[in-house]
Amino acid sequence: MAGEKVLVIGSGPAGLSATKELRNMGVDVVLVERESYLGGTPKKLKYSLLFPELRPASEVLDPLIKGVENSGVKTYMESIVEGIKEEDKGFTVSIKDKSGKIVNEKVNAVIAASGFEHFDSRRKYEYGYGIIPNIYQISDIERMLSENKLVTTKGTPPKRVAILLCVGSRDATVGNTYCSRVCCAVSTKQAMEIKERVPDAVVHIYYMDIRTYGLMEDKLYWKSQLEYRVGYIRGRISEFMRGPNDTVIIKGEDTMNLNRALVVPYDMVILANGMELGLGSKQVAKTLGLELEEHGFVKPLDPDRLPVQSTRKGIFLAGAITGPKTISDSITEGYAAAMKAYEYVTRGIWDESDFAKKRIEVTHH
Amino acid sequence: MAQAKGILQLPDDPRFLDMAYDVQGPVPEEERNLLSNLNPQDREIAIKFWESVKSDFRFNEYLRGCLNCGVCTSGCPAAKFYDFGPREMIQYMMRDEVDKIWEFTNKKVWACVQCYTCSMRCPFNNEIAGLIMVLREYAVKFALPSAKEILAPYRRVLYTVLTMGNQVTPDMIQPDSFPDWGPQAVEESKNMDVYRKAIPVDLMQRTDIGWHPSLQTAVEMMTIMIESGVMDSLKGVDKDLYDMIMDIYEERKSQLEEIKQKWEKGELDESELPDSWLDL
Repeated sequence: MAGEKVLVIGSGPAGLSATKELRNMGVDVVLVERESYLGGTPKKLKYSLLFPELRPASEVLDPLIKGVENSGVKTYMESIVEGIKEEDKGFTVSIKDKSGKIVNEKVNAVIAASGFEHFDSRRKYEYGYGIIPNIYQISDIERMLSENKLVTTKGTPPKRVAILLCVGSRDATVGNTYCSRVCCAVSTKQAMEIKERVPDAVVHIYYMDIRTYGLMEDKLYWKSQLEYRVGYIRGRISEFMRGPNDTVIIKGEDTMNLNRALVVPYDMVILANGMELGLGSKQVAKTLGLELEEHGFVKPLDPDRLPVQSTRKGIFLAGAITGPKTISDSITEGYAAAMKAYEYVTRGIWDESDFAKKRIEVTHH
Repeated sequence: MAQAKGILQLPDDPRFLDMAYDVQGPVPEEERNLLSNLNPQDREIAIKFWESVKSDFRFNEYLRGCLNCGVCTSGCPAAKFYDFGPREMIQYMMRDEVDKIWEFTNKKVWACVQCYTCSMRCPFNNEIAGLIMVLREYAVKFALPSAKEILAPYRRVLYTVLTMGNQVTPDMIQPDSFPDWGPQAVEESKNMDVYRKAIPVDLMQRTDIGWHPSLQTAVEMMTIMIESGVMDSLKGVDKDLYDMIMDIYEERKSQLEEIKQKWEKGELDESELPDSWLDL
């Protein structure tokens, strides 16, 4: 084997881990990244601590980034994949950079790891995000926490904080009927971080179900109550109003009691916005000719058996492009995709499944 | 053994699946919730009522599921002032609780203002306000006492809607009828007649009608109301009003017929017709 080349699209946790593994196995990698830095969304939005271990995001991402930077990977920064053409044993891809210059690269396989985008809470207009001051998204709070600037518009740390879960997830009114999986854990983690910094703050989480699944149950959900006294109120907030003194007044129902309306002022409200495929990945899917599944994510060839293979031969998937995922899941998928791509480019192994062709009955919304 | 007595037995109701229930019976709080004082006659109607609502063609389309999130109730203007909440109703419907639906229909369903905020915001896309509408429709169809009671003050409104196609007339603004409109309404109501006459549109110069359909439109509209079963619903709730409106309908129909015949024979002298057919 010599001269095998794999194109990796996206340099988030999934793309980086796939690149690193392929390099370790002696395969050449071409890495295309839309932004001017490696690290993907966690770097872009400056994630603070990662759940459930509560360690800085840089502790996880920086080794991956360094590993790729030092491995002699051909990297196209601020570039996107513009077109793809099938050629005898692989693809010719055209990569366009910011100035519009197009470079062609011949590769044997492609790993699409262009990830997700956070739901834009402005689409839930009744929440007033972007209009009413002191309403933030969890993606904004991560940056505020990591830069140690957790303050309201008054310039002081918040004393009363409400976190609303399931913004843009599990909501047919915006067309996203799936659960984004990580927001419960992220919100609980943020509640603990806020209590750590502002110990006398009151933090309430408005939830329908707390999905800190698996080992996170006691590490996050229980811990937040045992050690931080975070309050959990069952109910979804229906609208926000601007209160006096730049406070935010929430309107909700405490669904543990029948017809118990809640109108409560807070200094700061955090919307736990979910995950969507985003425009970047949609462009990638369109260019590569990949199919989308019913939630709008990219469809794997077989979601159980072959989760990292796409419906098009020679193209592999990793990370949140196929659905909401945690950083550790994305890293795992990066490894898996690298392994599958390695088998494909060296020995031509491509597992087949007719699952994607079968019609699947899903609840229609 | 305190056998559960006078309780509506529903095989699918989770409350009756509890193994201790047979022995213990309901706890006092449950007892209150179970409406065990519903007499057999009412119970029979309650079941019939709920079966009819469920078999309505809109029901399964409107009721989809419930996450119990409370968005409907928290956005509900009526829930703010009454012991009423859309989530409550959806929950009863999802659990097939005949007795609670019956109570809800008789006591609470009329608090809704049909703003449809709940329907718009429901993450499960339930048509909640539509379901309330269905409950109300069947309450009227079944001529429930609560429907009669709630519609009694609206006889005048019903009368205008069914005969003129319009609900609000200027002379409804009376000093004492809408206290929540504030002092301005009281002031306005004093000279309503003068204001109305000052409007330079020919049709709008009286205060006893909102707008002025032609005789033919009025007859057609009333025919639609009769054919679509609206009048039949009214019959059970308010027989007097029904008779009155039917009389008016017959009268207008014969007037229209008369004018038509004259016109067909070429005998119609249009200058003899009054400006408004209401003066016929």
